[in-house]
Amino acid sequence: MTFDILIVLMFLGAVTAYLVSKADLKAGAYATVLFSLGALVLLLLGRGEIGSEFTILFMGFEVTTIGWYFSGVMVLVYAMTAFFNSYWMDKMIYPGSYNFLYLFSLGGTVGLFFAKDLITLFIFWEIVVWSSTFIVPMGKSRRAAVVYYTISTIGSMATLYGIMLLHRISGTLDIQGAFAPLKNDPVLATVIFFIFIMAGLTKIGIFPFHIWLPLAHGSAPHTFSPVLSGGLVKMGAFIAYMSVGILPAYEAFKGSLTVMGIPIQIYALMILGAVSIVLGTLMAIKQDDAKKLIAYSSVANGGYILIGILLMDQLAFAGSMMHLFNHAIASAAAFLAIAVVAHRTGTTKISELGGMIHRMPLTYLTYLIAIISLAGIPPMGGFVSKWLIIQGLADQGLMFMALAAFFGSIGSFLYVFRPLAAVFLGQLAPRHEELASAPLLMKIPMTILMVLILFFGVLPGWILGIIGQIQVAAGIEPVMMSGNSILAVNGVLNTLNVFMVFGFGFLIALVIFMLMQKSRRVGLMDTYTSAEFIYTPELYHYGSAFYAPFERLYARHPSVEDFLMALAYKGHEAGLMVNALFFSHKPGVTVFWITVIVAVVTLGGVGL
Amino acid sequence: MINPVLLIAIPLLLAFVSILYKGYRNNLLVFGALVNAGLVLTLGKGEYLIGGFKPPFGINLVLDDYAFLGLLVINGLFLLITLMSLDKIGENATVLLVALAGLNGLLLTGDLFNLFVFLEITAITAYILSASSRQYQHSFNYLVLGTLGSGLYLFGLILLYAVFGSLNMADLSLKMATADTSQLVIPSLLIFIGLGVEVKILPFNGWVRGVYGNSDSLVGPLFSAVYAGAMLLVFGRIFAQVIPLGAYLKTLLLLLGALTLIAGELAALSKTRIREILLYSSIGQSGLIVTLFLSGLVFPAVMQLFNNILSKAVLFTVAGQMADTTGTDDAEALQGAFARHKLAGVAFTIAGLSLIGMPLFYGFVSKINLLFGVFSLDNYWLPGVILLGTVIEGTYLIRLLVKLWMPGEEGLVSHESHATKAPLEIQRARVMGIVVLSAVLLVGGLMPGMIQNNLSESGRLLDETTPVYLFDLKGGQ
Repeated sequence: MTFDILIVLMFLGAVTAYLVSKADLKAGAYATVLFSLGALVLLLLGRGEIGSEFTILFMGFEVTTIGWYFSGVMVLVYAMTAFFNSYWMDKMIYPGSYNFLYLFSLGGTVGLFFAKDLITLFIFWEIVVWSSTFIVPMGKSRRAAVVYYTISTIGSMATLYGIMLLHRISGTLDIQGAFAPLKNDPVLATVIFFIFIMAGLTKIGIFPFHIWLPLAHGSAPHTFSPVLSGGLVKMGAFIAYMSVGILPAYEAFKGSLTVMGIPIQIYALMILGAVSIVLGTLMAIKQDDAKKLIAYSSVANGGYILIGILLMDQLAFAGSMMHLFNHAIASAAAFLAIAVVAHRTGTTKISELGGMIHRMPLTYLTYLIAIISLAGIPPMGGFVSKWLIIQGLADQGLMFMALAAFFGSIGSFLYVFRPLAAVFLGQLAPRHEELASAPLLMKIPMTILMVLILFFGVLPGWILGIIGQIQVAAGIEPVMMSGNSILAVNGVLNTLNVFMVFGFGFLIALVIFMLMQKSRRVGLMDTYTSAEFIYTPELYHYGSAFYAPFERLYARHPSVEDFLMALAYKGHEAGLMVNALFFSHKPGVTVFWITVIVAVVTLGGVGL
Repeated sequence: MINPVLLIAIPLLLAFVSILYKGYRNNLLVFGALVNAGLVLTLGKGEYLIGGFKPPFGINLVLDDYAFLGLLVINGLFLLITLMSLDKIGENATVLLVALAGLNGLLLTGDLFNLFVFLEITAITAYILSASSRQYQHSFNYLVLGTLGSGLYLFGLILLYAVFGSLNMADLSLKMATADTSQLVIPSLLIFIGLGVEVKILPFNGWVRGVYGNSDSLVGPLFSAVYAGAMLLVFGRIFAQVIPLGAYLKTLLLLLGALTLIAGELAALSKTRIREILLYSSIGQSGLIVTLFLSGLVFPAVMQLFNNILSKAVLFTVAGQMADTTGTDDAEALQGAFARHKLAGVAFTIAGLSLIGMPLFYGFVSKINLLFGVFSLDNYWLPGVILLGTVIEGTYLIRLLVKLWMPGEEGLVSHESHATKAPLEIQRARVMGIVVLSAVLLVGGLMPGMIQNNLSESGRLLDETTPVYLFDLKGGQ
């Protein structure tokens, strides 16, 4: 009973939030907090009901462990971000509609993960697409919304084709039953595999569909970027899981050509995942906008998640499932920290900021912990999940994938350091001297997320237990734990020991810091200029051209974005051509075409 | 049992009366539309003879499910659009009454020559209405092509009559079913082209751009919803139920339909004027519906047709109103127009999303059903084309919706102060009308079973043997 209430409640909540917003904007924003927190509570209460089935209108639902896990991740991100909504009410063009769409898309995501049949899955998928499409343009870019919508729709229409094809083959739309006949038909399974996973690839932002992430995440309202990056992207991972887990891809592709032991169909997508890691990392390094930077890091992390899911093994799959959670909360926390900065300063440009640690220490700490986790540095959650993924890759001997994964890990040090150094550390700009720290309501979710990131980095047992159940349900060996140690083939990771070591190191550093001489604060304008007047102080900000020497190494890189834009322009041109060929204001042109058609049919029809 | 010929006779009679009593023209029009919409609900299915001669010798009216559904929607829409835009009717009340008679005749008749007569009557009213934009060149263009089209239709008809000696649809379809298809190629092609001009199939639809592109808030919805709907239903009647197509011609015409779909959507993508975007979208949708009819998927085609015309009625009303009151319908000049007209904006958005086929709206139900239908024919290229069309259509409609809702330059947060200063006014009657239409689309999407149940309770269940998804079948089946 809990879950149908949950889904219906979200849609009712959307309407309620809208109506409340009409009376009082702030109250409407608080309604989004209440409803999304309510969803979180209902999810936790309903854990015992896993396995139950229910229907709403014409849609069928089934509660599975993986669906529960995914919706938990999603609702957590939504609930934490909702705390920020009230501060943006006066800046939003349609605050009431924002609150409505916020809960509406939340309802869509929850319904999606519990879908029992493919049409229900698709219905909720599209609900999320269109409701989020209308939130994105409330931010800084209208074009971003169109690009986001178009790329999402390319994916979802391909998946719809796959769904229809599945129905034609198996005669059912039930998720379990529809994929069953593919086991013994590798050709058909290949076709379905590539078509069906498209919605997932576009949503995760796998190369070459990644171009919407920096646009949409970077320019969406600051309160929605955490949801887009932390939450909605994970819907794609669910589709990816269905394509390998429920489709039984490994079983279906048994006889096909293998590359390093992996069927070539799956390996091809893994390559895309690896490209996404490398590309996302390199692009993130050169961003000057903090939100775009985190968006590109989401591309890279999406690559990790995809590769792990595609492997469907004991370690990398578990790592990927856990990374999904870690990335969701870490990226949400990072975006929220940036949102605080944007709320106080009005900008997200790295080179216009600096020294925020002096004004908002908690926000700084949140950002620090979030990016440490994103970069996969112990003792945060991100380390555990990346360790598992790399263990899995090493275990299977997938050296190219492991290479990309290592590249992404090391590159992430570079890109997470850039906003850290230039936004939060360094000198405070004179105009920011008077900034207040984050309001209380913003501090609550940031603190919760911080604690969660650290907690699951030190004690990942609970979450790995759930992932183990998912693995058992998917028919693969579950990840093994013994006490606080994760047992892998090539080694054992005791996260508590790691935490102890780091904690001890931190203490030593703290003692040294306390004993040493205090540092002297240097103003941003305190620069050697040999009596020259400074016309453009921004250029002297050390955050501008932060990695210039490194960026020069790949400054002239080819871009798939140019290609896609050229493609879009070709579509535009084709439209103009249609117009010129057929829609003249002279009737003679139409008469000409009628003559052509009659001639073609008559001549072609001779003998028929 | 009420004779459906009243649906044709009453408006025609009122049209004559309205010439005599010019002061009451609009009242007579509203009265006629109301009476017709009411009469449809009381009709009983069956065949009705006109003049006492038994078919195939005399003319008969056929009221089956197909005609009934068509009459219901066309008369309902006609009434609503008339009420919405009463202030725009001006001199045209008589023309509109004649049009109503002609449109009902198109849907009811069981005779191909009688159909030609009604085709001419409605076409003439359409020429007159199109001239209300005072763009006479476009009306003339339409007149030339429309006349050519009906001429070709008549030519094809004569050929059929020469071969089979009958004009009655039921009789002809029996005779043609056993005939050699090569005899049918030329007459079917001529009839196809003749109807293609009105239905807006690609190489024959040069007139659409000028006429639809300059339509006002009365003519726009009337053409794009009522006329287009009736013409497409006629097309479906003839090509899905009367004339059997040989494999050669069928392939060719299917390709033309698919080409119309993609070319129309692509042309819409390259446009910035709202009415031009919508008119090319109408062309694309016509291509889709024609393709479905040609594939023999009558019920999915009718569903998609209803989705298209209900949405287009809303979209064209708002677009026409924009052009009427601000003098422009360029999306850029009207950015943020809905910030001050939220209710109209919501109706416009619902219609747009339904047209794309987004879930929760009726368009989704029809899209799912048409895809099931096409797949059930083991046709695997057509769904690809349809879905490609959906992607393009979604792109430009979402672009338009975003533009009209969220004003602002790139790089700046969307704010009401960027919204257009154009003096856009949308009359209350029009807002109410489009809200009703969009509510129908919403209810149809949320509770698709409801409409079906009401129809079946009144004994008018569609004689369709294939189960309908989301109506009869639920998830997982």
